[in-house]
Amino acid sequence: MTLATYFAGIDVGSTMTKAVIVNHGIVGSIVGPTGPEQRRLANKVMEAALKKASLPFQAITCVIATGYGRINVPFADKQVTEITCHAKGISHLFPEARTIVDVGGQDVKAIRIDAKGKTVDFVMNDKCAAGSGRFIEVIADTLGVSLDEVGDLSLKSKNPAKISNICTIWAQQEVAASLAQGILVSDLLAGVHHSLADRIGRMVSRLRVEEAIIVTGGGAKNKGLLRALSEQLGHEILVPEEPLITGALGAALLGKEMAEKARENNTPLKIKERILEQIEIL
Amino acid sequence: MVEEQKEAKPKKRMTATQAAASIGPMVKEFITGALRARAEGKQKLAYTFIVCHHEEIFRAMDVVPLWTENFAGICGAKRDAERFLQRAESLGLSRSLCTYALCGIGFDQWREELGQMPPNAPWGGQARPDFMISTGQILCDPRSKWFQASQQFMPDVPIYNIDLPYPLFQRDRDHRDVLGYYHKYIVKQLRGLVAFLEEQTGKKMDDDRLAELVDLSDRTWNLIEETYSLRKAVPCPMGTGDAMNTMVPINFMMATQTAYDFFVNLKKELEEKIAKGEGEVQEEKYRLMWGGGLPSWFALTDFNYFNSKGASFPVETTYRMVAPLDAMDLPQTKDPIEHLAWRWLGFWTFWYDRAKKRPGSEPDVERLIHWIEEYKIDGIVMHEAFSCRTWHVGLIWQLHQLAKIYKPIPVFVMGKDGKKERIYRELPSLILESDIIDITSYSEEDTRNKIDAFIETLESNRLSRAA
Repeated sequence: MTLATYFAGIDVGSTMTKAVIVNHGIVGSIVGPTGPEQRRLANKVMEAALKKASLPFQAITCVIATGYGRINVPFADKQVTEITCHAKGISHLFPEARTIVDVGGQDVKAIRIDAKGKTVDFVMNDKCAAGSGRFIEVIADTLGVSLDEVGDLSLKSKNPAKISNICTIWAQQEVAASLAQGILVSDLLAGVHHSLADRIGRMVSRLRVEEAIIVTGGGAKNKGLLRALSEQLGHEILVPEEPLITGALGAALLGKEMAEKARENNTPLKIKERILEQIEIL
Repeated sequence: MVEEQKEAKPKKRMTATQAAASIGPMVKEFITGALRARAEGKQKLAYTFIVCHHEEIFRAMDVVPLWTENFAGICGAKRDAERFLQRAESLGLSRSLCTYALCGIGFDQWREELGQMPPNAPWGGQARPDFMISTGQILCDPRSKWFQASQQFMPDVPIYNIDLPYPLFQRDRDHRDVLGYYHKYIVKQLRGLVAFLEEQTGKKMDDDRLAELVDLSDRTWNLIEETYSLRKAVPCPMGTGDAMNTMVPINFMMATQTAYDFFVNLKKELEEKIAKGEGEVQEEKYRLMWGGGLPSWFALTDFNYFNSKGASFPVETTYRMVAPLDAMDLPQTKDPIEHLAWRWLGFWTFWYDRAKKRPGSEPDVERLIHWIEEYKIDGIVMHEAFSCRTWHVGLIWQLHQLAKIYKPIPVFVMGKDGKKERIYRELPSLILESDIIDITSYSEEDTRNKIDAFIETLESNRLSRAA
């Protein structure tokens, strides 16, 4: 059997689905909303990524699925958790990385990795939206600001508001009340970022934080949050060029690693008959 | 009143040992046996709490203990706690209080309102007590307040409170300096309990019988220690999932021949398994410690999930409420009450001397370190139950301290000069977050996602070690 040279990773997150195809480098990647329908239509995201890379599905040697919806990817050869995939993807991009903070749509993860990019320890917050990207989405909606504007606007603040509620719902009410009192939107957003950074920082401190610290996920696109988080952690923070795809990238690289190991050991790569199709949940 | 709905029936957890599988009927017998005793009216029934070293006194006086925490746990395990929790909430009690207490209070209020058991009460329901023995411990305020709240619905049922303190760990002090004062105080508390029970039952304490029962308990303690130590074997013949069953005789049946016989049989079963090389899991890849926190009683199948990944749990800090008596150096006394008080103090101060020898250590951390070594542990799992402060406060701090003072895993990494460097990595840990019986705090998907990630971390360590 001739070993093809393309490997795919697909990360079905709670908010966004990401697909990456690699050979010696990234040849195609795509990010799209997960949504209730998309969760069973991971094939569509993969088709889009293949189209972008001008590749047929048959060219892919190995597909690794990750993220909360990884079980909904019938064409994946293997499922791996997003912790391992982020560790792999980030250590590929930043060999000096030791701590990863992934601020996702509905959860936050902190991962400590070693020099080989292996996970040493991790913590996850999935019990409360207040520590996740969802917190900012809710507040942005209340303030009538688009998510793209949130970061830059907050950086204009000279007097960040104090957000005392840590529950998303109560904080939303507090922000609405503060807005009515005439507090500036930029100050409120800066306050919200500090509140979120405080929660994330406390969670991350369960690990022993070591530099370099890399932030990924949707939260990494928010400059205001990054500044607040950097202040909270007391360290400089690095961000990948495209922070949404690091999990999918790691998944693709793990597939590549699997194939290379199989080739080194002269053993066949365990892959299954795959068809790029949607799954039927019901 | 609130909508009263039962939750979906839980999946049954697979046990590794026959002994663990036999626990269900045993627990059911506590509940139904208490109901029979209530109907017959020959014995007095008492609400009370576990880990108070007072079972011998109860049994010597023929008082039937009703373990209220156990009944709440049964409601949780049967996924039938929510209706009682909601009832307690509707009485104005917050969900953030101890959910064992909320469940019990909700149940009591309902039973008293109806004058009979609530509909479809788990295993027939918790019998009405003749009196309640609350036992304030250092941090667990529900142990004092729970029965006071329940007394609102049972004003005719008296409460007697016993206080069982122990000296806290101080690195620069020898706890023995004050042990005598604590001992006097505890003896007084236990004698007060005896006097109360004599008054309630109209019987006099039989000191010889009490001494026999204390001796039986002591022998059971030593037997449990010997039995659980067998789990050091590789592969481990019995895991924490099973220990969450075998905690029943340890915590609810002390001072009974049944408990002693149970551990005789379990020991024999484990010895046979070890001789045949049978482990809790077929191919043991990772050995984990349940390092703290009460379990989610409604989600014990999570232990099977760990097992399905090749992970076994040879040891747990939770519910192992015994320690080797020989190693305690307890003062000799012929007075069984005095002995109970010494044993109480010996148990709670068991790790103090060892902790003092290791800089930065504390008794709870020291216990983790010892068991990591003795049971060849690869990772630690803890459970943070949001509603229980007593057993859960300080768990994360313990992990922090452990990481600071103890690094058992040697791995090789590439140094800056391109040469291999040997470093020591701390043990990976996983903190599960949920509750003891409140199922609304639990997500199977999230929990198993965390377990998957933890297993991948352990595998990465295993490969590093192998390399």
